[in-house]
Amino acid sequence: MKLTQLASIAAHPDRVWQVAPHPTLPFLATASADKSSKIISLLNFNTLTTLDGGHKRTVRSVAWKPNTEDEPVLATGSFDYNAGIWRQFEDEATEKKDWQFLVILEGHESEMKRVAWSAGGSFLATCSRDKSVWVWEEMDDDNFETVAVLQDHTQDVKCVAWHPEDVLLASGSYDNNIMLYKEGSDDWVCVKVLEGHESTVWSLEFEPLKSPKYSEERGSRLVSCSDDFTVKIWTRTEQTGLGSGGGQLPSILRGSQPKEEWECTATLPKAHSRSVYSVSWSKVTGRIVSCGGDGKIVVYEEAEDNEWKIVAEVGLAHGAYEINCVAWSTRYDKDKRGENDEIIISSCDDGKVNFWVLDEE
Amino acid sequence: MSSEPANANPTILNLSDLPTRKATTSKPKNTLASATPAYLYDPFAAVPDLDFSGDSEEDDETPEPIDSQEIFDLVATMCDPEHPITLGELAVVNLDHIWITDDDNGLTKTVRLEFTPTITHCHLATVIGLGLVVRLQQSLPPKYRIDVRCREGTHTTDAQLNKQLADKERVLSALENETLMGLVGKMIETCK
Repeated sequence: MKLTQLASIAAHPDRVWQVAPHPTLPFLATASADKSSKIISLLNFNTLTTLDGGHKRTVRSVAWKPNTEDEPVLATGSFDYNAGIWRQFEDEATEKKDWQFLVILEGHESEMKRVAWSAGGSFLATCSRDKSVWVWEEMDDDNFETVAVLQDHTQDVKCVAWHPEDVLLASGSYDNNIMLYKEGSDDWVCVKVLEGHESTVWSLEFEPLKSPKYSEERGSRLVSCSDDFTVKIWTRTEQTGLGSGGGQLPSILRGSQPKEEWECTATLPKAHSRSVYSVSWSKVTGRIVSCGGDGKIVVYEEAEDNEWKIVAEVGLAHGAYEINCVAWSTRYDKDKRGENDEIIISSCDDGKVNFWVLDEE
Repeated sequence: MSSEPANANPTILNLSDLPTRKATTSKPKNTLASATPAYLYDPFAAVPDLDFSGDSEEDDETPEPIDSQEIFDLVATMCDPEHPITLGELAVVNLDHIWITDDDNGLTKTVRLEFTPTITHCHLATVIGLGLVVRLQQSLPPKYRIDVRCREGTHTTDAQLNKQLADKERVLSALENETLMGLVGKMIETCK
């Protein structure tokens, strides 16, 4: 297959750390070292709004709250230790849409590295160089409470990701480990440590339930990428306890501390020669895309169960620059080919955001 | 932490012993030819294999790529964070510990610079490493990937230090730290 550039925009004057397409609307949010975020239209790739003034340092991460189509809500995480919550609203007088900086979430003791909303949107997870993962719950509109401070990692926590259905949180760290957390009978607890990466875990994503390769019988999967230049797949083999949703468990186990068993089931074919910074798992095709410091974008496909092959690769995808983030997104521009058409969005160190289509050769 | 310098009595090299490119109009492409070999001032350095045969008329094309001598020149005049002495004079940076390699993609290049702290427990090794990264990032075009590392075995926590220096996110976040950047700024001030 072949990756072709569809568009390229100079989104920011400085590094773009992360791009996040809205789950259901034609919006892309960016996180940049210029201390701002932008909302970019996926219909025509024009910048709609700049969200600035909320953070004093680099905006490292952005995440859209699910299920908020009428009034989109965005979370930002910054090196200024704080997270911000922004909401789009319609000015009643002018009927113009604008963005409002609603809440600042303070508590971390050093740079925030990632923010992520749970599938239902009721929890926000944040992580930081202070080695902790915080879970915030929105009690009522714009009122957030800290429900957990998880300090199981021994180093800088680089990333957090929520399971698409269960109340299950994953985090990846500079200590090379991935940790899984669940709400226990009275507190959030680390239920599993996934060891296998030989260096920093930069990014994580669970397999989307809609992916054609998703199998309930096999169980949920998680993809991770690392400074050890590899991309690994982890598969759930067993789970018990709260939030599991599985009815097949003997009643004697219910009410005990939740348990998760996962194992590494695949290491994707080696394609990167420097740190792999980001991975994304397509809900349409089940393909995985990765990017990294070597400037490559690589697409993998699962040929057989847990047997992955590279189907497309672009080098120097942002010229000489390192690529910090890749994400699959629904395609909305005028040339889209049907409702299920997808694009890959990438961002890099010189502030550009590129849009790619994957075609049969 | 005491205010005493970590190494009150560092070994200082004579300026004239430092490797330099002779100010000639035709630039020799083999840096070893113009540089004082490391073994003259470092008794432990391996004697380089000086091979002058053959490749004299191979590459006349312009512009000349950046070589390790140029990288050395960029960092050697930087000042130590606690002594008014340059990193070149302190042999914290050495020409022999700079490598430039072409990446497979045909465009980017990787510069690897291994530095040697003056003493193995130098608490300023992180600052020195960061200073070297900043200096090279500011001076080199974006196609250069910069890998600054502490030379293996020259610091009690070299593995830990190197993981930090390899972490882009931590390095870039440190660059937003005013105290650290103040120290780094002083190191670079002395550069011509």
